[in-house]
Amino acid sequence: MYQLLRKLAHWIDARAGVSATLWPMMRHPVPRSIDGPMGWWYVFGSASMTFLLIQILTGIGLSMVYVPAADQAYESLLYLDYQQPWGWFLRSLHYYAGSGMVVMLLVHMTQVFLQGSYKYPRELTWVVGVLLLACTMGMFFTGQILRWDTDAYWGLAVGASMAGRVPVLGPEIVHTLLGGDIIGASSLSRFFALHVFIIPGALLTFLGIHLWLVLRCGISAPPKPGEIVDPKTYDATYHEELKRGVPFFGDALLKDIFFSALAVTIVVVIAAVVGPKGPTEPPDPTLAGANPRPEWPFLWLFGLLSLSPPAIETFIMLVFPVLVLGALFFVPFVSNRGERAPSRRPAAVLLVIVIYTTLGVLTYEGVQAPWSPVMDAWSGDPVPVNLVEGRTPLELQGAAVFQFKNCRNCHALEGIGGRRGPDLTTIGASLTRDQLITQISNGTPGGGNMPAYGKQMSPAEMEATVAFLISLRPDGQLPAGAVEDAPVEGTTPQPVELTE
Amino acid sequence: MVACAAFVGCNDDFPGKPNPADRPLPQNEITDFATLFAQNCTGCHGADGELGPAPPLNDPLFLALIPDETLHAVIRDGRPGTPMPAFAAERGGTLSTEQVKIIAAGLKSHWPADKTEEVSDAAIVADAPPYLSSATILQLTPGATDQASTLFERACAECHSPNGAGGETGYASGGAINDRAFLALISDQALRRIIITGRHDLGMPNYAAPDGRPEDFKPLTSAEIDELVALLASWRRGDAAAGDAGK
Repeated sequence: MYQLLRKLAHWIDARAGVSATLWPMMRHPVPRSIDGPMGWWYVFGSASMTFLLIQILTGIGLSMVYVPAADQAYESLLYLDYQQPWGWFLRSLHYYAGSGMVVMLLVHMTQVFLQGSYKYPRELTWVVGVLLLACTMGMFFTGQILRWDTDAYWGLAVGASMAGRVPVLGPEIVHTLLGGDIIGASSLSRFFALHVFIIPGALLTFLGIHLWLVLRCGISAPPKPGEIVDPKTYDATYHEELKRGVPFFGDALLKDIFFSALAVTIVVVIAAVVGPKGPTEPPDPTLAGANPRPEWPFLWLFGLLSLSPPAIETFIMLVFPVLVLGALFFVPFVSNRGERAPSRRPAAVLLVIVIYTTLGVLTYEGVQAPWSPVMDAWSGDPVPVNLVEGRTPLELQGAAVFQFKNCRNCHALEGIGGRRGPDLTTIGASLTRDQLITQISNGTPGGGNMPAYGKQMSPAEMEATVAFLISLRPDGQLPAGAVEDAPVEGTTPQPVELTE
Repeated sequence: MVACAAFVGCNDDFPGKPNPADRPLPQNEITDFATLFAQNCTGCHGADGELGPAPPLNDPLFLALIPDETLHAVIRDGRPGTPMPAFAAERGGTLSTEQVKIIAAGLKSHWPADKTEEVSDAAIVADAPPYLSSATILQLTPGATDQASTLFERACAECHSPNGAGGETGYASGGAINDRAFLALISDQALRRIIITGRHDLGMPNYAAPDGRPEDFKPLTSAEIDELVALLASWRRGDAAAGDAGK
């Protein structure tokens, strides 16, 4: 039996040339120093690939149950979550391994950038890597749409209206993406095709090229300060280095396996503990209270767009991503020679710090989203008790009007409520009665954030609201504009010694 | 790893396994009273139905007096003349007919009846004036105004001062109730409700409580409450007959 199998293998090998091709690949040497501790910098690319493998496996599993039809997708997700044994875990793992893949890609890219590994002769490897990043982000976006809940619906609506801003071709692009002019039954099918066939096809093709280039150009040696990359001499030097090299299938591979196993374990634990993401409420275009957020890799863009003046929105949506991708493509062409060690490339280190700080801050803003009103704060967030106690009947009615007119959706009291406008907990100490009336009636001057409420409130409602606002001030502090000894407006309880 | 986990334990043990009970519901399908209350009522009526700007809802006296139909109607249609908005979808609110019913029924049953520190005696509930006034028109003749003013002085002036202007009269926190803006934002029925029930959360006594009232104070009758409401209503209109009060 064994002999028979051997014969069969030889027969295939003689015709397919598998061993002639693979054997040298498997024995390809890597620089000796990768055997040492510096080799741990080289594990992130393979970890990304491990996550990709998990994505493919879990994705196949999910596709056996998921129904890419607008009227059944949501139900099939519920089925996965609640009925299919381990279905919830499959969804959870697919989400967190996808997130892990993005994280590993970013770390891998950062390492390659910081250590100058993209320099001659590996420029093309970097460019294909950028394409892999673009594909991965595309997978994340289209995957979110397949979740087909409220977030997916509005994410798609936002994405489509962004695409619609492309000059001339905009409507055509939207029509192609959505399979119609509006989000409908075909939209989900289109995104299913993108997520399951088109983008993965591109991704695997690019990955093949990327790996081929890695083998072809060899793995760069860990950088040493003073070792200059010069395209004229690099090949010869590297060739010499490899003669003293060690096989990749050895210590380097063990490091990769160890780190990938660790990364996968962490993701599996997170997936089991945190559970699948969503689906949130079923998609409903009439839901006014929907508060959709993009997936985390896009939160920084959400933050950037929300904080930018409307005049440059289109620029940020259409030109900015092209600039970012273009800048990434051009990295190796700006400098493909010279020092590789981060200690000799302060500009590169500074750039990484600035970029990650910016992304971090914008992501934080995207999570907080202080520009979004809290649509149910008026009816759901109680007025803090100490702002209720001791108020006069008029001030109490004012507090009720304050809630009922939805002021709370933008203005927090003691930090609870919307954050689009300022917190009003101590407003009585800073604005006078007249200023409050003007502000409420006319809104922010010059078409600012706050709308004018003058026509939406009766004089009594205005009177009561202003009385309540004047009463909002720290203990013992006079209303804004009041002079000591003058009659105090509003009737916040005075310290006991004054009333006794 | 997955296989290990599958062998080791039942997958119900994982904290990440979604619980069907936590399944997110569309707003109009929520049927849990506590959730509906927290999303729709606490903004004005306070986290536990008290200590909000609007009158407390956890008041056993209030809950005992208000007829089911009236409670349901107030949630559905709001209280015209007060900040209380209509919550039924067909009246411009956000709640389905079913959800309005759930809130109305839930209010009556949510706070256990033994939470009656404020209503010291079941008799107070039993003897309380009806929630709705039997009088159809609350109009004071000039003579009746004096009578109502006298009544006001006995029942309300300790906190709100004789002319309703509030002020530092011992129970300093009473505050002005002769303010036309305040009166424009509270309906006659809401005034009646608050006179009967008081505000146990903010220290306002109910129709029978003796706090801050003369020693010979007797619980207010339905007719007397009508008179008081009529007096306040005349202040609201700024009637000349109301004299100095309301200025």
